[in-house]
Amino acid sequence: MRIALALLTATTFAAPAVAAAPALTPAQRDATHAMFEHVINTPTVIGRHNVPAMTRYVADQFKAAGFPEADIHVMTYHTESATTGEDDTAALIFRWRAAGTPKAKPIMLMGHMDVVEAKIEDSTTDPFKLVERDGYYYGRGTTDMKDGIVGITQALINLKAAGFKPKRDIVVLFTGDEETNGIGARKGATEWLDLLGHPEYGLNADGGGGNFNPDGSPAGYTMQSAEKTYAGYTLTVRNRGGHSSKPRKDNAIYGLMHALEKLEAYRFTPMMGPTTRAYFQGREKQEKGPLGDAMRRWLANPDDGEAADFIESAESEVGLTRTRCIPVRLFAGHADNALPQLATAMVNCRIFPGVDPNDIKAELERIVANPEVVVTRNDDSVSSLGSPLRPDVTNAYTRAIQTLHPGMPVFPEMSTGATDGRPFRVAGIPIYGTNGSWVVTPIDLRAHGKDERLPVQALYDNVVHWELMLRDLAGK
Amino acid sequence: MKRVMAFVLAAALSSAASAAVDPRTVPTKLEPAWQAKTRELFKQAIEIPSVHNRGEMPRMAKLLGDQFRAAGIPEADIHVMPYEALPGDKTVALIVRWRSPHATKKPMLVLGHMDVVEAKRSDWKYDPFVFREEGGYFLGRGTSDMKNGDVATTMAAVKLMSQGFKPNRDIIFFYSGDEETNGRGATLGASEWRNLTEAEFGLNADGGCGAYDHDFRPLGCGISTAEKTFQTYFFSTHNPGGHSSRPRPDNAIYDLADALKALQAHRFTPMLNDTTRGYFAERAKQEGNNALGQAMRRWLANPADGQAADEIEANPLEVGLTRTRCVATMLEGGHADNALPQSAKATVNCRIFPGVQPKDVQAELQQLAGPKVTVTPDPNYIGEPTPPSPLRPDVLKAVTAAIQAIHGPQMHVTPIMSTGASDGSFFRAKGIPVYDVDGSWGISPDDERAHGLDERLPVRAMYDDVVHWQMIFRSLAG
Repeated sequence: MRIALALLTATTFAAPAVAAAPALTPAQRDATHAMFEHVINTPTVIGRHNVPAMTRYVADQFKAAGFPEADIHVMTYHTESATTGEDDTAALIFRWRAAGTPKAKPIMLMGHMDVVEAKIEDSTTDPFKLVERDGYYYGRGTTDMKDGIVGITQALINLKAAGFKPKRDIVVLFTGDEETNGIGARKGATEWLDLLGHPEYGLNADGGGGNFNPDGSPAGYTMQSAEKTYAGYTLTVRNRGGHSSKPRKDNAIYGLMHALEKLEAYRFTPMMGPTTRAYFQGREKQEKGPLGDAMRRWLANPDDGEAADFIESAESEVGLTRTRCIPVRLFAGHADNALPQLATAMVNCRIFPGVDPNDIKAELERIVANPEVVVTRNDDSVSSLGSPLRPDVTNAYTRAIQTLHPGMPVFPEMSTGATDGRPFRVAGIPIYGTNGSWVVTPIDLRAHGKDERLPVQALYDNVVHWELMLRDLAGK
Repeated sequence: MKRVMAFVLAAALSSAASAAVDPRTVPTKLEPAWQAKTRELFKQAIEIPSVHNRGEMPRMAKLLGDQFRAAGIPEADIHVMPYEALPGDKTVALIVRWRSPHATKKPMLVLGHMDVVEAKRSDWKYDPFVFREEGGYFLGRGTSDMKNGDVATTMAAVKLMSQGFKPNRDIIFFYSGDEETNGRGATLGASEWRNLTEAEFGLNADGGCGAYDHDFRPLGCGISTAEKTFQTYFFSTHNPGGHSSRPRPDNAIYDLADALKALQAHRFTPMLNDTTRGYFAERAKQEGNNALGQAMRRWLANPADGQAADEIEANPLEVGLTRTRCVATMLEGGHADNALPQSAKATVNCRIFPGVQPKDVQAELQQLAGPKVTVTPDPNYIGEPTPPSPLRPDVLKAVTAAIQAIHGPQMHVTPIMSTGASDGSFFRAKGIPVYDVDGSWGISPDDERAHGLDERLPVRAMYDDVVHWQMIFRSLAG
């Protein structure tokens, strides 16, 4: 559940950044492309049983680069829940040991290999066949987040080939069910923690990333240091049903639709946390117009709900000012000629850090205000925590970004999506979303949606980005 | 797609002041030995979950076919007809011909269907496919729609054969295997298999005609001679979707909700035809001077009085009789718990007033749903408006005699318009008049649970129905 990249409008940068930056060799570029094509063409959707094959493939890349087999682990596990279906999936754990005595505890690099379902009938091209067109790579997972899997893997292979010797262990955890149940990350934060060497902190490729405006000007990169809590709820309406030739006044579908209309009209109370405060303090400097004015008003007075509403309504700021809940799936009825006995809607909430998901359940009950609409929780999520902003990570990320994209602003960010980082944060291991890919905003914001795509150059930039970050953080 | 039990014609409600007896406690006229046989066959039929796509129809066809076989119908006259309801959904129909040794009349067709609507164990109090008898009722999916009719027609024939009855016309039994879904069997029966089904007229056992109200007053028995056209439409919305952490202002589910809200509020124009005019004239007499009776008289006097028609339509006994009705029956939307929906779809089931074209209803639905929603008819079943079947005096006489022998003279028999569609429509469309004349009954509206939860049938109604069909066969083929 990669964060949708926060899009930022930088009015201060008129000209596209032309990077005299390090680049991949043609051979590295070919290897990156081949790996990306292979993994995009592997449909790692829950229930399709393909994650273990992708895990073995990535493991084979590390083996081929000369890393010892004993440090490469394919961890198969089962993932399942009532709403997502089930699968036998896998995680990859790889440890690149420091030369000599490690200077510090390991750095963990994170990502997930699974992707959200994509239906061919909803897509322009087969979402599980990598297509290159008009400067883009198209396919499910191109931005969420097989770009990050390939970025980290190829960067480590390149560093090894270049003779790089890390001064502390680098561990990799690629999970196989982040988009559904997050069981891999929970295992990582508990039973696999010894194998991961109790890392000091984690860098998650399923977070961070950059944006350019359609005119080529840099809009900004973000580093994710807090995330909203992901929680699912089900609204259920039951009815005695009957024959559809004799409609009843009460109808489970209409009852559910009225509840959803109330949800559509509702706005949760605006909130501000340390990360979003820092984010809006950076953003207001970029925004000279009404949006910037609203940010300044809200920063000055957190009770100014009208200012927060104005910010929330800007496409670039959706989800950053409060909890948001949205219906994502509907099921009702059992035959076309029978009145529905059961109608359900799944509501997906992204809850502001620190707010208890049980309180949101109670709030949903107040919103629908109808005892016939029963609200239940779909998971046992607990509220997430922010990670402290560490200067070493912030600086390494900023340097890597600005080496590739001179003049690019970098902001701390609260992710509106949930990531595998959460169980580690809950366990006291800070996690930072520091991927280096970029897109053009808002037209490329398609994670989980139709015709997901990544600019071709962003794939290769990301490999260089991870090399730069790791040289900085593990090489000194 | 059986019609709902037609509870009609509250016979002289005001004058029936005498303490009525609970009809469920009145002994049936079916002999105990035949009650036992009927119950056993009913149990076996209910416990075959003949829902579409489950591949159970051959077992149903064998169960019924075996009864005829045991009663002496030769193998050559028992036909199990395999067909596909939809590509891949294999089912069968059963056609049995009970030959007359000295036919003096053209054959008579008896129609039924062996399939039932889906029933989910989790929705029901008890397993819908385990036969139960409780509190004077038989319970289970298909007890009223319409394994009761399958059992009654089969058992009545078996019983008559055992008594040495020889019909003076062939009686053809036609049990389809996909009435509840696609009606493909009836379509084939009325066309490709016509050499096996050709008949002067048809009697449909799909749905009992009689009913009592809560005070056990007979509400009458309706023989449907006209039926509404069945057509399902899909309301579809599409959206680019995206990540659910960043909700867009537009959303496929909210767009659909808006359209369904409009559908819920929409009222089609009230309409009358000869059958319903006759029906409401009778009903107005029975209702007398109460508000419903007055509304019926106002509407009959002035068909443009929409307010009167609305008042009638709002009465639970009259739902669907004054106009086209459409209702949302199914929903699906979205593709993942963490993604904004790229599509959402509602199934809207319509029962269209006879004579109205399904295309015109589609246009009206599109108009109310608005431009964000696409309205399309279900391509698997395109409804065809059917002409009313002229009421035959012999059928009316036979049914009236049977009904009144069982329920007494207070149970009136009257032509009605069926709000549901049945296999009969396919035969009507191809020139064989069909009358829905089953003899089951129930308490209205409590026992109207076809397609719904905890479907049931009074125990006596099952046994009465065997007597009913036995009398009808004797009368129309003896």
